[in-house]
Amino acid sequence: MATAVTASVVQDTPLVVGGRTFRSRLLVGTGKYKDNATMVRALEASGAEVVTVAVRRISLDRTKEEGILYHLDPAHFFLLANTAGCYTAEDAMRYARLAREAGFNEFIKLEVIGDQKTLLPDVAGLLEAARTLAKEGFKVMAYTNDDLVTALRLEDAGCAAVMPLASPIGSGLGLLNPYNIRTIKSRLGVPVVVDAGVGTASDACATMEQGVDGLLMNTALAEARDPVTMAHAMRLATEAGRAAYLAGRMARREVAVPSSPTAGMLS
Amino acid sequence: MIARLPRLHAVTDDRVAAGPGVVERAAAMAAAGGPGLAVHLRTRALGGAAQLALARRLRAALEPHGSWLVVNDRADVARAAGASALALGRTGLAVRDARRVAPDLPVARSVHGAAEARAAEADGADFLVAGSVFATASHPGAAAEGPRVVEEAVSGGLQVVAIGGLTPGNADGALRAGAWGVAAIRALWDAADPAGAVRAFLAVLPAVAPLVVTVNGESRAVPEGTTLRGLLAQLDLDPRAVVVEHNRRIVRRDGLAGAALAAGDVVELVHFVGGG
Repeated sequence: MATAVTASVVQDTPLVVGGRTFRSRLLVGTGKYKDNATMVRALEASGAEVVTVAVRRISLDRTKEEGILYHLDPAHFFLLANTAGCYTAEDAMRYARLAREAGFNEFIKLEVIGDQKTLLPDVAGLLEAARTLAKEGFKVMAYTNDDLVTALRLEDAGCAAVMPLASPIGSGLGLLNPYNIRTIKSRLGVPVVVDAGVGTASDACATMEQGVDGLLMNTALAEARDPVTMAHAMRLATEAGRAAYLAGRMARREVAVPSSPTAGMLS
Repeated sequence: MIARLPRLHAVTDDRVAAGPGVVERAAAMAAAGGPGLAVHLRTRALGGAAQLALARRLRAALEPHGSWLVVNDRADVARAAGASALALGRTGLAVRDARRVAPDLPVARSVHGAAEARAAEADGADFLVAGSVFATASHPGAAAEGPRVVEEAVSGGLQVVAIGGLTPGNADGALRAGAWGVAAIRALWDAADPAGAVRAFLAVLPAVAPLVVTVNGESRAVPEGTTLRGLLAQLDLDPRAVVVEHNRRIVRRDGLAGAALAAGDVVELVHFVGGG
């Protein structure tokens, strides 16, 4: 339906990260859903191919939740493991290596957190881990703040994509600094995927209108009253924002200009 | 010296191996014997395919308890089944030839007397099975040589498993002669209660102490000789659904069976969960 129309009108190239082509510019997380059935339906409604997962200890008493692979078909989704919860480069690298050993792919969503309250990144640790992991053959997608110089350094470090935040993780505050995001996108050669902070569909649309290559979200879906419907809305908003960016918006004016002809009015 | 070599060896013969309930009895013995028990698959009555199929079922029954599977003579079957050791009969392959087939397995040799023991040592055997200590129904006509046969084998320095008519009641002579452990056929397989027979043997054998390791942050006692693959089996975890870190080093799936746990080891078992 919506996709078919989009595909026939919009002339766009697909998202390519680290040499791999993805079918959607919307990437979604799998955390915090009230149940797995809802999560799976929301992922499907989002149209996302890339879904993020976390690496954690297996529960030995077997009374708790099984791993996510009991619910997700890894043939249908591209599993992007993250290093969420890591506060040092060393920890993040350890998690990345464990994730790769699971055997799905060499992509890693690298997070090195520097502050517990804001979950903002530790830039020094992030760069160190990115450099080492890229040398080990990882396709690093680095979660970072919306700072141009850090983004440039991450690209130099060999990252496959740079992922600046719209606003802090889980905040739902939306796109706080469109200028910073636009600047980063204009200066980087690798894909820019905005990660974190989107709260609702208009945030997703506004973010994609900046010309970034993709958008990653989790809480906006998981904590919506109806995650499946919100996932559908985010899919449309991501496509709408992308199409609007490609279409090129009109110029802003400080005066009104009538849309209807001024000639031919009745006297 | 194989620190984890079990003390009690339950050896099959053709009758036991081809008979009904062998896997069930092995499982019952393993539950009682844990890492102190090895089950030897010894048969000439079964072809290669049947022997391998049986070896695999035995290994699956033994592994959760840390018990060993030892395959006799068939180095190919031992390797394909993932056995813990290979035992060669007196007329079996040379040790060096067996190692070309199963290079990573400890290899035992059956010996009678000092000359055979020295030859087996020269051939590179890792441990010896020495008999017959007492007269036995499985080798009619073989001379009962008493504990002397153990002494002769032990003098070369290898670990020796004594065999031949041994029971919990008469094993002390072989042990005083220096045997590491004892092997039995009828005393175990023909017992009305095989698990009880295992416990009776282990009561007269040196104890096997459990290991304490840390798994996902929790202290856990596991049987001595437990491998990472055995640990996963004990925890009922599918090796394909878990990534294993052993003392901060990632262990690949194909390395799990060869990675033995030592006291104080730290193991992390992780998988994917929902995340953003």
